[in-house]
Amino acid sequence: MTKHTRYSRVQRLAIGASLYLGALALGMGSAWWVLRKATWSGTLVKVGAWSGSTLTGSPDADMYTRARVALEGLLALGRNETMYYRADTDDSGRPLRSRCSYRVEGAPPSARWWSITAYADDFFLFDAPNKQYSLNGTTAQLDAVGHFALSTGPTPQPGLHWLPTPGDRGLVLTLRLYNPTADLQAAPSKLKPPSISPLGACP
Amino acid sequence: MKNWSFRQRLWFYRALTLGATAVIAHMALVWALPRLIMHQVMAGQAAQEMNMLNQAAFPPPVDASSRRVVMPSPDMLYSVCVFDVSQGPVRVTAHPGLSSYWSIALYGANSDNFFVINDRAVGKAAIDLWLVSKGPNAADPTVPVGAQVVVTPSEKGFLLMRVLTGDYEAEKSVLEPARRTLVCHKV
Repeated sequence: MTKHTRYSRVQRLAIGASLYLGALALGMGSAWWVLRKATWSGTLVKVGAWSGSTLTGSPDADMYTRARVALEGLLALGRNETMYYRADTDDSGRPLRSRCSYRVEGAPPSARWWSITAYADDFFLFDAPNKQYSLNGTTAQLDAVGHFALSTGPTPQPGLHWLPTPGDRGLVLTLRLYNPTADLQAAPSKLKPPSISPLGACP
Repeated sequence: MKNWSFRQRLWFYRALTLGATAVIAHMALVWALPRLIMHQVMAGQAAQEMNMLNQAAFPPPVDASSRRVVMPSPDMLYSVCVFDVSQGPVRVTAHPGLSSYWSIALYGANSDNFFVINDRAVGKAAIDLWLVSKGPNAADPTVPVGAQVVVTPSEKGFLLMRVLTGDYEAEKSVLEPARRTLVCHKV
């Protein structure tokens, strides 16, 4: 009887400890999943392939937005100063890959100054051999209809400002608007989003 | 529940405890993450190497080797300072005198951007900020006339000065001296 009781107690403790650790893992894992994978959020604005949060950098940010920004865009500014949009798919919804080439084209956004930067999926810059990491309101050359265009990918494309994306991993494009117009601040969904389309086949 | 067996009651309380544990762990991680990341930025190895506590530091222009803070902007030159107002006000002055975009942003220990001032607000004038904590030194009589008092939501925080550079090589002779006008010191 004594042996049986001791065995049961050890067994119960082991089960309890396993379940407790499982609950901790579930709680922390679900937090990580929500922050890194969940695409739903009441503060997310989706415009074409681009999305942005209306509360990025704001003291009014909820704790999920604050944690997500800390992971993916620490030290962001509020939208009266800077607005951020991010794209990790092309216009058809296919995930962006660094080994593929893309054309990004659009009209300069309604802001005092803007830039589009190519990041790897760890949110750091690619090791670009030409040291070109972005196209911005200073360096962009507009065509006859007032549009800019750039290419991303492992090789340059004729006539396009090239942002090299060496390797084979996820690609994230970030559009920053410095001192955006009041209209856009009030309604971030009014952005005319730059198009993102694949250049050639990408196996 | 009255008629439940010992085993049933045991599992009921286990499920309850486990559910509460999972929820608490979830919320704690979401709450703590920005604070932990900010702590790393303000007190980690890089911060110590740059000696930026109540002192301005000037990181090199952003490139692929810039891996201390996610999403570094290659179009900005940064000047930084970790402020600690626990022992008294911290004074921040700068005089970039640029007509292109620059800003000074202050972040609390929870990563919130609680203050920003830019070239549009200041023009080509100098700025003089006195960072004070909530409480007694919020009304420090030594604040000079014309200085702007900023009450910080946390005793420790991060200052980030951004100076726009669309073409660094062409502009560095003007922009480098401008961003190095940032001074940050304990009063």
